[in-house]
Amino acid sequence: MKEVIEGSQAVSEAVRLAKTKVIAAYPITPQSHIIETLSEYCAEKIMDARFITVESEHSAMAAVIGASSTGVRSFTASSSHGLALMHELLHWASGARLPIVMAEVNRALGPGWNIWMDQTDSLAQRDTGWIQLYCEDAQEVFDTTLQAFKLAEMINLPVMVILDAFFLSHTYEPVDIPAQEIVDKFLPEYKPKVQLDTSNPFALGQMTPPEFYMEMRYSIQMAMKKVIGLFENIENDFFEIFERSYGTVEAVQCQDAEIIMVMPGTAASTCRYVIQELRDQNHKVGLLKLKMLRPFPTEIIQKILANTQKIAVLDRNCSFGLGGIFAQEIRACLCNLDKAPLVFSYISGLGGRDVTQSILKEIYWLTKKNQNPKYESIWVGLDKNNLSKID
Amino acid sequence: MNKRLDNYFDIPFYIPKSHVSTMQNKTGTWRFARPIYQEKLAPCSTACPASENIPKIEYYLSQGLIKNAWETILYENPFPSICGRVCFHNCEKECNRGSFDESLSVHNIERFIGDKALSENFEQTDIKLPLNNKKIAIVGSGPAGLSAGYFLSILGYNCHIFEQKNSPGGLLRWGIPEYRLPKDILDKEIARIENDRLKIFLNQEVSKSFINDANGAYDAIFLACGLGKTAKMNITGEEMCIDGLKFLEKVSGGINPEIKGNVAVIGGGNTAIDVSRVLLRLNAKPSIIYRRRKQDMPAFSYEVNMACEEGVIIHELLSPLSINKENKYVLEVLKMKIDGISNGRMQVISDENQKQTLEFDHIISATGSKPLKDWYMPDDNRKMINLSHIVFSNKDIPVLYGGDLTNQILSVTDAIASGKQAAIALDIFFENGFSNILETFEKYYGTDKSQVSMEAYLKKNEQKNTGIVFYKDLNVDYFEKQARVNPKKIDKKESISSFKEIEQTYDDNEVLTEVIRCINCGICNQCDNCRIFCPELAIDFTNNERVINYDYCKGCGICIVECPRNAMSLEEEK
Repeated sequence: MKEVIEGSQAVSEAVRLAKTKVIAAYPITPQSHIIETLSEYCAEKIMDARFITVESEHSAMAAVIGASSTGVRSFTASSSHGLALMHELLHWASGARLPIVMAEVNRALGPGWNIWMDQTDSLAQRDTGWIQLYCEDAQEVFDTTLQAFKLAEMINLPVMVILDAFFLSHTYEPVDIPAQEIVDKFLPEYKPKVQLDTSNPFALGQMTPPEFYMEMRYSIQMAMKKVIGLFENIENDFFEIFERSYGTVEAVQCQDAEIIMVMPGTAASTCRYVIQELRDQNHKVGLLKLKMLRPFPTEIIQKILANTQKIAVLDRNCSFGLGGIFAQEIRACLCNLDKAPLVFSYISGLGGRDVTQSILKEIYWLTKKNQNPKYESIWVGLDKNNLSKID
Repeated sequence: MNKRLDNYFDIPFYIPKSHVSTMQNKTGTWRFARPIYQEKLAPCSTACPASENIPKIEYYLSQGLIKNAWETILYENPFPSICGRVCFHNCEKECNRGSFDESLSVHNIERFIGDKALSENFEQTDIKLPLNNKKIAIVGSGPAGLSAGYFLSILGYNCHIFEQKNSPGGLLRWGIPEYRLPKDILDKEIARIENDRLKIFLNQEVSKSFINDANGAYDAIFLACGLGKTAKMNITGEEMCIDGLKFLEKVSGGINPEIKGNVAVIGGGNTAIDVSRVLLRLNAKPSIIYRRRKQDMPAFSYEVNMACEEGVIIHELLSPLSINKENKYVLEVLKMKIDGISNGRMQVISDENQKQTLEFDHIISATGSKPLKDWYMPDDNRKMINLSHIVFSNKDIPVLYGGDLTNQILSVTDAIASGKQAAIALDIFFENGFSNILETFEKYYGTDKSQVSMEAYLKKNEQKNTGIVFYKDLNVDYFEKQARVNPKKIDKKESISSFKEIEQTYDDNEVLTEVIRCINCGICNQCDNCRIFCPELAIDFTNNERVINYDYCKGCGICIVECPRNAMSLEEEK
């Protein structure tokens, strides 16, 4: 049955239906609605779960690490500064191979103090060993959260489900929320490979000398490589029940495209309209929506992009001193091809600024007119009045 | 449906996981500071003239071990029911709980324990040392003399107490009115300490020659004759005053002295307060005439406050000049004013020589007291040792002076301390000789030289000065604020129209509610925080004892911090 709910609540409903056992979180805008709903579900015994209130995000992650180590399904949510505070323990979660699921609401970091959409927070955690899945709409948020538990538990790696602040977290959309028994068919009870057990004591995550550490890291990398194939299979299972699937990436009208626009998140929705409008005017343009950033689906992306001429990547983030991070990922993925397409990098929509149709069209036209992409990113939609204030 | 996924592949999964015990990692090698269990002195105990181990007493009671609590008191004080009523409870002034919410009602708890022991006829476990062949004469059966006899009998001595009056108790019987200390309580507690080794001879006035003739009959004498005489004011007409001490004695003996109307009570000590409150109960109207201010009175302040609450009027800053008898007694007084502090006491001077006359139906003098006879006091300085509560004079046989004769603070509990000090001093004298008295005392002193514990002396536990636990040393996060339980009182009208005891003894529920407020400063009350919080699990608890395993204790000090009551210490590792 479809219900009109916030993107945040889509997460909460999925966590409820996943029969999560432990939730530990600390409130931060724009994530708070997720855990507010869950804390009510716990308090009202709608969920048979323990909600642990903590004094910081660092402790929230520590608590779910502890819970997950004992072999129960565990969840947390965070955003921006909260996620940054978790950083150290994000490494622990992946290093210990714990199948924790986290909802991450993409929000800018201060100063200047800003609670709105920006990708910097999640991208700063790119190398922590977490699987990252970016979502476009509330239904995808719901579906991805359910899939995330299955993926995490099968591969023993933590998963971050990422949704845009406000554009997704606080926007009401119709979402199909299935009955519990249907969800149970897709997501069975969690059977941990390892769990702490007082009757059979052992140590986890202890001192690891040089003769073992490297192979443990290799094992994470090997597991990550298997995620792409595994995710495909999980999506097939999901499709059989729910008749929806998303892919690690989604190619929209890319086959004959001369220019392919690349981006994750809600901006892709806007872009779907823009490319249709341009197609109607006989422009050969396509959209590559990115969903999975880690592991990076290199081969899939190569296949889609290899035969096009130009790629326009939209980043809602900036790695200062270089440029947009998604553009770097795309460049790196294409660089060894015999005839690599030209990659244009654009930065726009930082700190909650809208990425409008006209901005996307401007990006298209800039790409179309230009034959020599610069390595530097082009900033689109800068306000001239504001720029005059820069000394 | 999930078959395909289950067979999908083997997951690369290689994590640090070890079944080898971490016991091989002896974290104790990291240690440079060592936690130890070390009990410390509580400020209440160090403020108690009788050195009662208050935290331990309260701990036992809180665990329902009332007999252990009672016997812990009896090591230091034979009279819990009496002291629970009349002691000035300095302990409560120093109580750390007072810095948190309100101090513990130590005296009411002690009274409960004492009364329970009386009503249920508790039998004291025999702690007496074997009888020796020494016999001690004790002059006076007040709190000092009785305590000396009690402690000496424990130490193995035969004692004869000589009492001039027809009943034992001294000031406890004749000086403290019935509404503060009922006579049946006094009789029962005295009866309990009498035994084969301790005999009280009544109606036996001792003369000065007794001291000289005692050699042969006795091995030592303890003089604790008290202060039986009211000091002179040296003013005209003084002989027309009624003696305050004799007045109290008469009333205590059951004689109504027929004093009515407006009565002046001259003085500011506890006797003046007691006289005034007794007068109220005889339907007279007492007015205290005092040359300093109310707050300068040497009487215990809580007694002064109770007297004022009952309706005793205090005329401050009036110094008596003369007494004349006309229709009534005319008291001429000089108005005084304050002149600053000297020798720790507020000094007053004449306020421009203003005089005033006041008329009364009676005038009672209560201006401090003196020994009844001059020879009660030590007379020569040769071969004498001055301790905090006694003077030890080594004549043909030792003659010791104690109680109010030598004490700085004239309190029942200081008198008990005096009796105990005398007993220990004599025991040391007979064991090790006169020259070793001071040296041996040093081993058993608490925080200062007025503190000596009979329990420590009996068990030969030499005292290490481990310091006092102050409020800052506690971890008060473990305590919740809770109001002090005050005992029930009889109606005020009833209390000032009779000699009934004003305060009631706690009932079982009240005492438990109150006693669990005790922080048990400096002693282990088995809260187990040290063990629970130890990150190395290095504290073993077997056979009801906690033992720190120094193979694994890394000296982090968390146990020290989490001990709410400072019963542990951190030492530098040598």
